[in-house]
Amino acid sequence: MQSVLLLAATDASMNLLAARWQMALTLGSHIILAVFGVGMPVLLLAAEWRFLKTGDLLWKALAHRWSKVFAVLFAVGAVSGTVLSFELGLLWPDFMARFGPVIAFPFAMEGFAFFIEAIFVGIYLYGWNRLPPWAHWWCGVPIAVSGVASAWFVVTVNSWMNTPRGFRLENGVAVDIDPVAALLNPSTGPQTAHMIVAAYMVTGFMVAGVYAWHLLRDPTSMYHRRALLLSLTLGTAMTPVQFVVGDWIARRVAEVQPVKLAAMEGQFRTEAGAPLRLGGLPDATTRRTNYAIEIPGMLSWLAYGDRQATVKGLDDFPRENTPPVAVVHVAFQIMVIIGTLLLLLSLYVLVTSALRRRMPDSKIFLWLLVPAGPLSLLALEAGWVVTEVGRQPWIVHEVARTADMVTHAPYVGWMLAVTVGVYAVILGGTIAVLRLLARAPLENDRHAA
Amino acid sequence: MQPESILLCVMFLALTAYAILGGADFGAGVWEINTAFQSNEKQRKLLYSAIGPVWEANHVWLIFILVATFGAFPTAFAAICQALWLPLALAMTGIVFRGVGFAFRSYTSAQAQQQAAWEAVFAIGSTAAPFFLGASIGAVASGNLGITRDGKFEGDYLTGWISPLSLFTGFFVVGMCAFLSAVFLTREASQLGDRQLVRLWRRRALATGLAVGVLAMAGIFFVAGSAPTVWDGFRSRSWPLVGGSVAAGSLSLVSLLFERYRSAAFATATAVAAVIWGWAVAQYPYIVPPLISIEDAKAPANILWLMIATVGLGALLVLPSLGYLLYLFKVHRSQT
Repeated sequence: MQSVLLLAATDASMNLLAARWQMALTLGSHIILAVFGVGMPVLLLAAEWRFLKTGDLLWKALAHRWSKVFAVLFAVGAVSGTVLSFELGLLWPDFMARFGPVIAFPFAMEGFAFFIEAIFVGIYLYGWNRLPPWAHWWCGVPIAVSGVASAWFVVTVNSWMNTPRGFRLENGVAVDIDPVAALLNPSTGPQTAHMIVAAYMVTGFMVAGVYAWHLLRDPTSMYHRRALLLSLTLGTAMTPVQFVVGDWIARRVAEVQPVKLAAMEGQFRTEAGAPLRLGGLPDATTRRTNYAIEIPGMLSWLAYGDRQATVKGLDDFPRENTPPVAVVHVAFQIMVIIGTLLLLLSLYVLVTSALRRRMPDSKIFLWLLVPAGPLSLLALEAGWVVTEVGRQPWIVHEVARTADMVTHAPYVGWMLAVTVGVYAVILGGTIAVLRLLARAPLENDRHAA
Repeated sequence: MQPESILLCVMFLALTAYAILGGADFGAGVWEINTAFQSNEKQRKLLYSAIGPVWEANHVWLIFILVATFGAFPTAFAAICQALWLPLALAMTGIVFRGVGFAFRSYTSAQAQQQAAWEAVFAIGSTAAPFFLGASIGAVASGNLGITRDGKFEGDYLTGWISPLSLFTGFFVVGMCAFLSAVFLTREASQLGDRQLVRLWRRRALATGLAVGVLAMAGIFFVAGSAPTVWDGFRSRSWPLVGGSVAAGSLSLVSLLFERYRSAAFATATAVAAVIWGWAVAQYPYIVPPLISIEDAKAPANILWLMIATVGLGALLVLPSLGYLLYLFKVHRSQT
């Protein structure tokens, strides 16, 4: 019934629901493509660098094959990013009218980074036989650099929405804007680092998962072994870093968005010596988190470095200012559990390869690696849900409500329906094209120009 | 000079670049609607290899224009997005299908049927995007959108954007893209020394050039009839630019006749640029005529200056890179 109503949404609450689902769908899709846009160039450059150093055409085949995969993902990511920049105005016009100038600077910088990226993607993809080998490699470097720069600038906008700084409100409109203060808000450091490291992790484990699967079916293939070596190195090197960054961002959230931390941890009552809850399902009506394993005092220690520190609970905040706690807590648990599993896997890889001086390649290990890819992607989406849903009901934390900023235009529900259809076509097409690429004979790439 | 004027100039420069470079890429897709049914492998290869290396970069101008508009003129951006949500959403859908269609057709050569399907998607998207972007421009220029002075939209969400001028502008922009593309492809075919392809594209360029020229003349009546603010500006200020556009367009046709393809390309690009600047000058100082002026919609001065600085810095990096890209794949094309 609700879905039928959604199509003909005319009142504000239905518009809000449709617009938020549209953002969830389009941002949730774009984030996958964006992490490959950040991570794949590093793998490409590593493979091509090995080719240039050794002259081994198998490395070139790998780089060439990956450059096609990257080309497809980059093109789809470019259009899904374009959709987002249109949606800002189409779905949230009041937000843009009031706060557009505050966030225009990072968006403009991101635009230029994307420009550089698109230019060098053109040169790199079509320049295999147009440029001297090392010049070609160097034309890949700006892609990797501007991919990271794009990610950094875009995430600063989201971190500003979490901890808005650098302006004053006058009749609901931002005035006295200090764009640099807005850019360098308290969430910027940890949030951008968390996202960029996540991009490398997800790329590493997704690619490693694919080649672990191929290596299980074809254990003697040197091609798959090398592809696995590069991608696994990226994933395992980044995972321990992510734990340090994760701790940083959690402590920053505790400091600047205590209500989000309370939702993440399923902490309803304010208490000293708060326990860390592993798993569990928060119940918003009884105001308790059930079925969780509790480690006494651990949350206080993690958040504030003191086992007796007081952690604010959700009940300390007006009910209308708190996020949907169950979604945020469960998403956070998913992210942390998967992150921990990936850390164990990475430590195993780091220790065994240090001891035996070679990459682990037992069947059990490869079988464990196959699901690591999709799981890392799930952790990425879960983390995105934590930061977005955890900020609700605010679009700009404690400054502007999401419900007040949504468009009054009718037919937002229809737009959502069309978008679902369009994205289904894109998803199907992407899978079909990537499968075709994977099946093409390797010889094409080895001697490809 | 006021910062908002500087930034507006930069935005129209970006729009000019987008119209010429991105417009030619759209135009290739417009032609593909026709060629999908009758062209041979060689013709398609020219078309797709011409836009392959550059279309992603050419597309970023649009992103920049969007960002600059909401950064520098936030209330105008919000009002336009509400009034024109439908054509903008349709243009966005066209851009999406154009992009994925091109990327997917590039890597499905092993599967002819799948590739043909994506080429059709690419062609339809490439035609829809300029049509609805053009219609949006026409709708703004008509000054008849029901947007109040403080940026509230009070018109009809579904049909408010439709007017004779907006539909005309949609068709005109599609024609302009097809013309640009045909002229550029004539030049590229001649760089490759393929006389058969040169003949084909030269014929197409001449035919569309004439058609777009006639359409442009008709456009003056649409503007006079349904866009009073812009018509006033045209009569008092911007007629020399529009006259220049007609002259450049004629020069382009003459150059095509005399097989001077490089000057035809430059003349066509100049004609397109002159049309855009003719619109900009005619509509000045309104950003959404007839009520919202640049003065009404502008962001605070420090933001505008920061954006100008960002543009300057960005241009230092982007323009040489873009020059290198175009040099590699457009100037020295004949080497491959």
